[in-house]
Amino acid sequence: MNAGFLEWLQGTPLAVAISEDWFPYVESFHVITMAIVAGTIFIVDTRLIGLTSRRLPFSYLSERLLPWTWGAFGCSAVTGTLLFSANATGYYGNTPFRVKMVLLVLAGLNMLYFQKVTFRGVSAWDLSRPPPAARLAGAISIALWCGVIGFGRWIGFTQTG
Amino acid sequence: MSLVAFNNWLSSTALSLLIQRTSGAIAGIQVIHILCLATLFALALSLSLRTAGRGLTAEPLASLAARFVPAMWICLAVLLLTGALLIIAEPHRTLGNPIFYTKMALLALALVLTVWLAAAARRQEKRTALRAAIATLYMLIWTGIIVAGRFIAYH
Repeated sequence: MNAGFLEWLQGTPLAVAISEDWFPYVESFHVITMAIVAGTIFIVDTRLIGLTSRRLPFSYLSERLLPWTWGAFGCSAVTGTLLFSANATGYYGNTPFRVKMVLLVLAGLNMLYFQKVTFRGVSAWDLSRPPPAARLAGAISIALWCGVIGFGRWIGFTQTG
Repeated sequence: MSLVAFNNWLSSTALSLLIQRTSGAIAGIQVIHILCLATLFALALSLSLRTAGRGLTAEPLASLAARFVPAMWICLAVLLLTGALLIIAEPHRTLGNPIFYTKMALLALALVLTVWLAAAARRQEKRTALRAAIATLYMLIWTGIIVAGRFIAYH
């Protein structure tokens, strides 16, 4: 990414205001929406693996919870972008930040594959033990999101710029 | 003994030094703390919505609560354990910080309301307005706990 763009971004009035005054508030909002994203995903994934809420159809649980996941994810993306803008050059070069972004993309791809392929046949396993592909998707999802949160926290320990 | 003296003593104990000196230990304990709070928050949100008559409505409140509340208590136990370790590792940052006490006061309230919500579900509390009010307050308190938790770092 163009260094000029990153410098321009962190020099905008909004980015400066966040960097100087609003960072803790934007960050707190980011944590809250992250909690909703990760927490709802964990509830759905543990059901997908077949560990919890087994008497509820999987599709019912996912249909009720995933709108919250997506809504909160949108808010996380917005707050995350605002946080990024406050120190664009610093975060861009930060290794845990980069790993977090890669894991987010992988989590998204995992979810997309599940939606488009594995979920197609849900009526066959909605009330019984999900097939291996579904359980694997759930396990991968949990692992990736733990990684997103872990590396996300790590950013704070390595970001000095 | 003054608070500062106590914090000095605590940060010099073997356990505190072990955590402080183990590379990545504080970060790792914090990550577990955050993962549990995320799970707890989503469970609390589901329980609150259901208590207010919304969300996962296919199932009776009593039945949903019977599954979610024990899971919430497990999350809380891990949060308390990881929290205790974080206090032991960094007493000045926590016990020496007024915002930490705000968080603990809100947490005490949250624990009381958790008991209330579980009991309300079991006895099939009929006062819908009361249920909705407590459920809303409950989520505001958990939100406040998260914010206070983050603001500890900015004191």
